[in-house]
Amino acid sequence: MSLSFSRYLALLSLTFCGLVSTLSAEESQVAQDPLPVQNPHAVTTTLPGQSIYEAKCAKCHGNSGEGVADVYDENLYGDRPFAELVKIINDTMPDEKPEECVGEEAQQVAEYMYETFYTATARAKHQPPRIELSRLTVSQYQNTIADLAGYFLSNGPVNDKRGLQAKYYNDRRSKKEELKIERIDPVVQFDFATAGPNDQINEEEFFVSWNGGLIVEETGEYEIGIKTQNGFEFWMNDSEEPLIDRRVVSGNDVQEQTATLKLLGGRSYALRLEFFKEKRKDQKNLTASVELRWKPPHKEWETIPERNLSPEWFPKVLVVKTTFPPDDSSLGYARGTSISRAWDDSTTYAALEVIDYILANKKEFTRKHKADSEQETFRKFCIEFGGLAFRRPFNDDQKNFYVDRIFNGLENPTEAFKQSLLLILKSPNFLYLNAKAGPVDSFDVASRLSYTMWDSMPDSHLWNEAQADRLQNRDQISDLANKMVNNPRTKLKMRGFFDHLLQLEEADDIDKDADTFPGFDAQLLADLRTSLLLFVDEVVWSERSDFRELLLSNDLYLNQRLADFYEVKFDHPSGFERVSLDTKQRAGVVTHPFLLSALAYHKSTSPIHRGVFVTRRLLGRSLKPPPMAIEFMDSRFDPNLTMREKVSELTKSKTCMTCHSVINPLGFSLEHYDAVGRFRTIDKDKPVDASGVYTTPEGVQVTLGGARDLAEHIAISEVAQVGFVEELFHHMVKQPGAAYGDQTLNELRDKLAGNDFNIKKLAVEIALTSAAFGLPEKK
Amino acid sequence: MSYQTRRDFLKRAGCSAAALPFLINLPSLASDDKQPRKQRLIIMFSPNGTVPEHFWPDQTGETFELKTILKPLEPFKNRMLTLKGISNKVRGDGDSHMRGMSCLLTGIELFPGNIQGGSDTPAGWASGISIDQELKNFFQSKAETQTRLGSLHFGVQVPNRADPWTRMSYAGPNQPVAPVNDPYQMFGRLYGSMKDRQTLTSILDDVREDLNRFKGLVSVEDRHLLEQHTEIVRATEQEILASKDQVYAVPPPEFAVGVEDKNDNMPELSKMQIDLLVNSFVNDVARVSTLQYTNSVGGARMKWIGVEESHHGLSHDPDNNEESHQKLVKINTWFAEQLVYLVDQLANTKDPGTDHSLLDNTTVVWTNELGKGNSHTLDDIPFVLVGNGLDLKMGRALHYKEEAHNRLLLAFAHQMGHKLETFGKPELCTGGVLQDLV
Repeated sequence: MSLSFSRYLALLSLTFCGLVSTLSAEESQVAQDPLPVQNPHAVTTTLPGQSIYEAKCAKCHGNSGEGVADVYDENLYGDRPFAELVKIINDTMPDEKPEECVGEEAQQVAEYMYETFYTATARAKHQPPRIELSRLTVSQYQNTIADLAGYFLSNGPVNDKRGLQAKYYNDRRSKKEELKIERIDPVVQFDFATAGPNDQINEEEFFVSWNGGLIVEETGEYEIGIKTQNGFEFWMNDSEEPLIDRRVVSGNDVQEQTATLKLLGGRSYALRLEFFKEKRKDQKNLTASVELRWKPPHKEWETIPERNLSPEWFPKVLVVKTTFPPDDSSLGYARGTSISRAWDDSTTYAALEVIDYILANKKEFTRKHKADSEQETFRKFCIEFGGLAFRRPFNDDQKNFYVDRIFNGLENPTEAFKQSLLLILKSPNFLYLNAKAGPVDSFDVASRLSYTMWDSMPDSHLWNEAQADRLQNRDQISDLANKMVNNPRTKLKMRGFFDHLLQLEEADDIDKDADTFPGFDAQLLADLRTSLLLFVDEVVWSERSDFRELLLSNDLYLNQRLADFYEVKFDHPSGFERVSLDTKQRAGVVTHPFLLSALAYHKSTSPIHRGVFVTRRLLGRSLKPPPMAIEFMDSRFDPNLTMREKVSELTKSKTCMTCHSVINPLGFSLEHYDAVGRFRTIDKDKPVDASGVYTTPEGVQVTLGGARDLAEHIAISEVAQVGFVEELFHHMVKQPGAAYGDQTLNELRDKLAGNDFNIKKLAVEIALTSAAFGLPEKK
Repeated sequence: MSYQTRRDFLKRAGCSAAALPFLINLPSLASDDKQPRKQRLIIMFSPNGTVPEHFWPDQTGETFELKTILKPLEPFKNRMLTLKGISNKVRGDGDSHMRGMSCLLTGIELFPGNIQGGSDTPAGWASGISIDQELKNFFQSKAETQTRLGSLHFGVQVPNRADPWTRMSYAGPNQPVAPVNDPYQMFGRLYGSMKDRQTLTSILDDVREDLNRFKGLVSVEDRHLLEQHTEIVRATEQEILASKDQVYAVPPPEFAVGVEDKNDNMPELSKMQIDLLVNSFVNDVARVSTLQYTNSVGGARMKWIGVEESHHGLSHDPDNNEESHQKLVKINTWFAEQLVYLVDQLANTKDPGTDHSLLDNTTVVWTNELGKGNSHTLDDIPFVLVGNGLDLKMGRALHYKEEAHNRLLLAFAHQMGHKLETFGKPELCTGGVLQDLV
């Protein structure tokens, strides 16, 4: 016993690679899958307590302990120990006739309750999927607050213009009459040396301002840096208090001043840089230069590129700084079905933060509500704010409960304002989604659409449509969803989806042996990430938006550094370019070097990691966890063996082969790519053998000769398509697909196929499924 | 959250030291041996197993020598216990790192779930309460041991994701407690604005009514969540009520501003969190605390001690890799130094109203999710205890034979007056409280 246990522990293997260790097991419900699939909804045995429960308890408590209206409303869910439950039934149940269910019977009833619905685990196991009441997820909360404030601050979308508005003055200050140059600068990166910006401007003393916005794609912590030997002030998302103030300069050496900001993706932020060079007594030949740089999340420092700068003006964005505990992702996607004390505390701190912010900017927030007294201004504001927060206008009862009652009871309007807003922001009507039972109205639809597409509240257009009650039929909803799909917020959400699907969020820690792979450093890794994201963005947001292209394209985005490392002829000194490569060597995401590197060891490939990834993420199949854990220890093998030979040897037992007969051929088909994703034909002095036979869930044998064969199979596999649909559904709706009907996912798959595999159209169909749920079917 | 300026921070925290109700050197707080003793417990966690041959003393009993990793604890040698031979015997779902973490303080299996760790069976959250929460509830249930917050959960660089690798404290089955990484946020929780608290108090009744009304709108299955929500609001209300009478013995620590929550700032974050922890104990805001460095499988890169590689990565290298081995010793020694900083503060701080130091009334337990990184063993889990809060016989190196750690958790409870029969999985409590500790 102890021997087998210690062996079991000592042999813990694949946790080796932090990557697969965090792979979550999506349980795709695929029919006739020969791999063992657990059906979480199957009740396996009929317990003797069932008939007793039905006869003696169900009348008041409902068939599954849900309670019966007006008889016994409370449900029978809880966490008392089993023995206690038996005792309660024995001593007190049925009500008023406790002698009718005692001893053995009480024990059996308790057993039945425990196994089927009493505990949270039992409920999860046995109850069919349903749409669960969910609080806003962390990202939904942040976006909603930004949009709620943005409604009053008139936040709007960004246009196509890029670069920053630049003004150059022939003076130490921005003296109007000394304005000499006005133009758009694509980036801020200038070395004036000892000269002036042009010959109209004195080289000893000048002033430049750059104005505009920073276009942010990903949510996260951004570092902003200004590199210069001169003086400057820099403002970001706040026109009053500078983020960096360096008007006092010592010496004339180039230094970088940095600051960190949390920014929400899919939005733009006002920025202003005021830069100057000034005369210094008795000092000649002073130099000037300036560079505006950043370090976005998961990336390395760089000059802020033109595509992330806009010359337009942007209003403030309210980014909540309060940290929330992360969402539950135990089913493989973030959802808001659990709450905790820490979460509730965060909603309080965040609400107080929002209220402070509104009070600090009250003129801007309440300009539409100007009334004779501050009391009245605040009151009117609270009513509108509350309706927006609840995603439907207040009714009279709500006006009274959340606003009037409080304002009438307090003399100090600011305190009433704070209490009213706090009550609104702490209200379940604000914090929870999917609450309402009963008929679906246009406001429900608007809210479902915006959360499915954007993870945020309805914008003013959706709000107006809801107010006009124009969201009651599928065609109207579909039209609107089609418009919403091109919004930057949908792009942000879609990017989050691919982060998850391709495990990008977990791949920050890739580390390769520096001797074996010289040049594979953090910068290269950041470039690889960019390359993969550019490719996915390009495919998804192109006209065709073809799912299959994600797998079949032979194009790769490269910059000079990547091209040099991967030995591709390339001649674009700056930026990324899309390059077509040999179709035999590259096939979409399947062969993207970022993924191939992530799914490999420090020095060698890992066909098992790659095979498991392909099985779960790209083919949408589930894998039973291994019955026995065996560690892959490279040092235990004859060093002359190829990786394929080692893995075959390691997994040759019958028990292993139940799953590895699927995993291995998939992983082996990628053996043409080394641990950093370079194409190779030789492993350990032997030609790479990437051949294999993969058996589909339908029992069809697919012969694979390499990556392209694999990609082609994934592209046509219906099981893989259902898997993709399910992942996207989870990400967008944050509810199980089956909660919307047994066949929902299969129907969506058919629609995907019917629309030439258009991913954008799939997103629209998913939004429609969610938004129109419960509406009468089209006649 | 990061603050740009000190003013920004104080504005957000809503207070300055001057605004807090201090009672320093008042007669009522002078030595008074009649007041009941305040026992306290701190559980400090660092991940990925230790390096056994540089960690465990070779000898047992009262005469023992500290090896490299524990060397920094030399000044506390007569106030410490090393407990070798304690095993986490909880089996079932989840990989060793997950069980090592989520069963460490709960002593009970994980629920089946969908979090896949390497090649073991997937699992969900722990299926029971953890010892820190059990003791917190015990203290909070009695007027004489009640404190405003009960327990505090400090994190240092715990990644921002919730899974069985990142959580060791559980309020109950399926209810992981998130550690707070951000010292500024913790500061706000400890000393946050009095005025905001008043505003909050005036609406909490309404929030409960709101939840109650809302409950009528949702399906029967969903009410459970709202009932839980109502419970939380009620607890907040009670906590605020308790805070009305709170007086503080000492002011909050002075903080540097704008220290960002990132890997390279770990030494500074660690110090800030420890300062706050000690401060919260002096001020009797809580009597139980956890201090969690990164997470199970944690990958800190300790560049400040010359280790560029990720901790978890190194912990997998084979024993004969001397370079990695030395780095792991360095990493674990760094953690030992954090422990020393903590116990040093406790030893040098007077427990208000007594003639004793905080360390006389506090036990710090330093532990880990694994015995050793590259074998993933759950045997010989590092347990180093420092301080006299639990009234154990200190100054010894003990060596047990594969005793279930449940029995040790049970001992913690008993020594704090909570005489549980079993803790965690009852089968693992055979024999009761771990022998030879007192």
